[in-house]
Amino acid sequence: MSSRSRQNTIDKTSRSNINHNATYTPMQRKTSKKYDLVNHGKDLIFPSHKPIPDRPNDAVRQGHQKQPIKKLVIKGLKDKPKLPANYEEETWSKLRAAVQAIFNCQRIGTSLEELYKACENLCLHKMASSLYNRLAGEIEEHLKVEKTKLVRDKGLEIFKKQIMSSSAGDIKKKTINGLIAFIRRERNGDAVDRHLLRSLIHMFIDLGTYCPSFENPFLLETRNYYHHEGLRLINEFTVPRYLKHVKKRLKEESDRISQYLDWKTKNPLTKVVDDELIKRHVDALLDKGFNDMMEDQHADEHIQELGRLYDLLARVGALDRLRLYFGNYIKKTGSGIVNNIYHESTMVEDLLALKKKMDSIVAISFDGNYNFAHTVKESFEVFINQRQNKPAELIAKYVDLKLKLGNKRMDDSEIEKTLDEVLVLFRYIQGKDIFEAFYKRDLAKRLLLNKSASFDYEKSMLSKLRKECGPGFTSKLEGMFKDIDLSRDFMTSFYHSRISENLRTNIKIDLYVNVLTQGFWPTYTPAPLILPPVMAGCQEVFKEFYLSKHGGRNLKWQNSLGHCILAAEFQKGNKELVVSLFQAVVLLQFNDLRQKERISYEHIKEQTGIEKKELDRTLQSLACGKVRVLKKYPKGRDVNTTDEFTVDETFDFKFFRIKVNAIQMKETLEENQETNERVFLDRQYQVDAALVRIMKMRKTLSHNELISELLSQLKFKAQVSDIKKRVESLIEREYLERDTEDSSILRYLA
Amino acid sequence: MKVKVKGWHGVAVWRWDVPNEEVCGICRVPFDGCCPTCKTPGDDCSLIWGECTHVFHMHCLLRWLQTEGSRGQCPMDRRKWVTAK
Repeated sequence: MSSRSRQNTIDKTSRSNINHNATYTPMQRKTSKKYDLVNHGKDLIFPSHKPIPDRPNDAVRQGHQKQPIKKLVIKGLKDKPKLPANYEEETWSKLRAAVQAIFNCQRIGTSLEELYKACENLCLHKMASSLYNRLAGEIEEHLKVEKTKLVRDKGLEIFKKQIMSSSAGDIKKKTINGLIAFIRRERNGDAVDRHLLRSLIHMFIDLGTYCPSFENPFLLETRNYYHHEGLRLINEFTVPRYLKHVKKRLKEESDRISQYLDWKTKNPLTKVVDDELIKRHVDALLDKGFNDMMEDQHADEHIQELGRLYDLLARVGALDRLRLYFGNYIKKTGSGIVNNIYHESTMVEDLLALKKKMDSIVAISFDGNYNFAHTVKESFEVFINQRQNKPAELIAKYVDLKLKLGNKRMDDSEIEKTLDEVLVLFRYIQGKDIFEAFYKRDLAKRLLLNKSASFDYEKSMLSKLRKECGPGFTSKLEGMFKDIDLSRDFMTSFYHSRISENLRTNIKIDLYVNVLTQGFWPTYTPAPLILPPVMAGCQEVFKEFYLSKHGGRNLKWQNSLGHCILAAEFQKGNKELVVSLFQAVVLLQFNDLRQKERISYEHIKEQTGIEKKELDRTLQSLACGKVRVLKKYPKGRDVNTTDEFTVDETFDFKFFRIKVNAIQMKETLEENQETNERVFLDRQYQVDAALVRIMKMRKTLSHNELISELLSQLKFKAQVSDIKKRVESLIEREYLERDTEDSSILRYLA
Repeated sequence: MKVKVKGWHGVAVWRWDVPNEEVCGICRVPFDGCCPTCKTPGDDCSLIWGECTHVFHMHCLLRWLQTEGSRGQCPMDRRKWVTAK
């Protein structure tokens, strides 16, 4: 049997089955058509009817059931189903009864679902518009009935017409003028009958004429009143007092609204007050009072006042103006601090105090507004870089002061906090290389002279710097710490060696050496010194041992950083002196002298080989400082080349161990200059590198373009005249050349 | 007065034992600096001496010796590279 013929038979049987179902919708009909199509040619739908020959049972069953096979086909209706003729009327009467029940607050007879269905059916059959009209008519009818019932409204209408309309004499005008006069008196501080005001105003609300008859003239009057008051008080009052007054006025007006005005008046009324008392005077307020308020010494009070100013200006959207003044104030104060060359010693502390104050103003008075915090940052960046290099240097020295021994008053958390604060200032600074150079120099002294308050603080500061500037910035500093650690390990192995045993038993000098890697540490100019033979031998022993352990290296001694512990016998007792290597060598010259025997300056210089400047400093520290082991002839503060010295045999001191080497920690003017110069030299290389980098990329550029691009790449401020010199030097070295026609054009030479 | 040195904290700086301003023959960076792959000079980027007396950054030379063209020779004189003791 072909599938086609099978299909036909089913068609015939199934049609009758389906046709009597009257509720078929077009949608369903469509799907049934699809169903048909799918069926054609494919027997997948009826897989069980396929003969499966290799199963005898099935074959038998097929033989028995040779009747036509039933197949279900769904066909559409021929005629569209219709509603009963009077369906609409009947449904409406049902709905109408329900609507009336609702109007009259009675129970609804029919279930709500039924009503809903009824509406839906009507709408589905396109009777929505007629249903709507009927409903509207019903409501109107109902309202008509109602209206006649409200005598009160009618009464009001008559009252309004007869008494309160402009045609009916001036009662209304008088009432309104009276009201406004009352309010004016209240604003002037008189007590008025609020109850009366309230009932009169509510009369206007009830009559529905509140807005045109009362509100408009009232707002006009208010504007007028505050306009004059603002002009008068802005000159009469101080700014803080004026602000307080405005706050009071705003509060009064909002009371007024809650007491007797219509709440709808709230927005227009506050706007009028804001406009007249604040917006009109923003500049005057800021000009006249802002700086004073910032300067005010009573911290709590000024924070409150500034908060008030912020709130009021926020109301009229004038925060940008406030921010401008705020930024200008910070810049002015800050540059005052930074450019004051007489108070350099306190510059960092002053800046920290300023920062703290600004932060607290932003946090408390200015609502922690992010934009204001940003203004603080920006302003600090501007003024702190107004003066080049010095702030960076002073910040480095401030940190040194905090990390140096002898500053034990602070506990851990305090130190951490201070370091964090300083780091914020550091963040603003452009010349970070200057900071690094000075920080490094100070760190070297702290580490080598054992003056560091705590290794933990040092490490913590280091990790902060690393976080701030990246590992490239701190790699050298970390190298310094590593050298210290390596040296400690090396010294232990030295002590366990046979050579050092000999050193300790025969020469009896306890030697400890820090061996530094050249690249990590600041470069020190070598300071000549003639060591006594014992010490020189000692040094040789160590050097030999070191080089035997580390081949291919060279050791150079840094005399200026060495220090010694001397056992000294005075007439009044034995002392232990902690001195610099220079001081030690000088003092050794005075060994075994006869009483009162003098040594001349020249003799010392010859014997020790110390340079003049260094020797001057050393002798001064021994003969004119706090601890005077030597006596100078003639007396005086300054050391001259003609001076002579003796030991102060009567020397005494309250402690056994005396530190005389403080001069080593102090920075000399030359050192300072050297550090600065070294940074400038490094900057030169950076400028060169940047110039070549830019030119290599761009090939040809005009001089001005080159300079502007360069300035945007450099992390420090560079003088244009210096850059020009670098350009010249690059031309000389044939990295660049000038264009033969236009000499302002530069070209890269590959 | 009589003074005697009891303890001494000295400071010394080490550098590679090569003539001043001499550069590595491979990377042309001064020996005081480090090879191009390193960031800090010093212990981490050491030098290497050959029996032929030539010196290089150790990293530079090892990389050179790994290339096929080197045939294990010193890049300066093409003699077999033998690290000096």
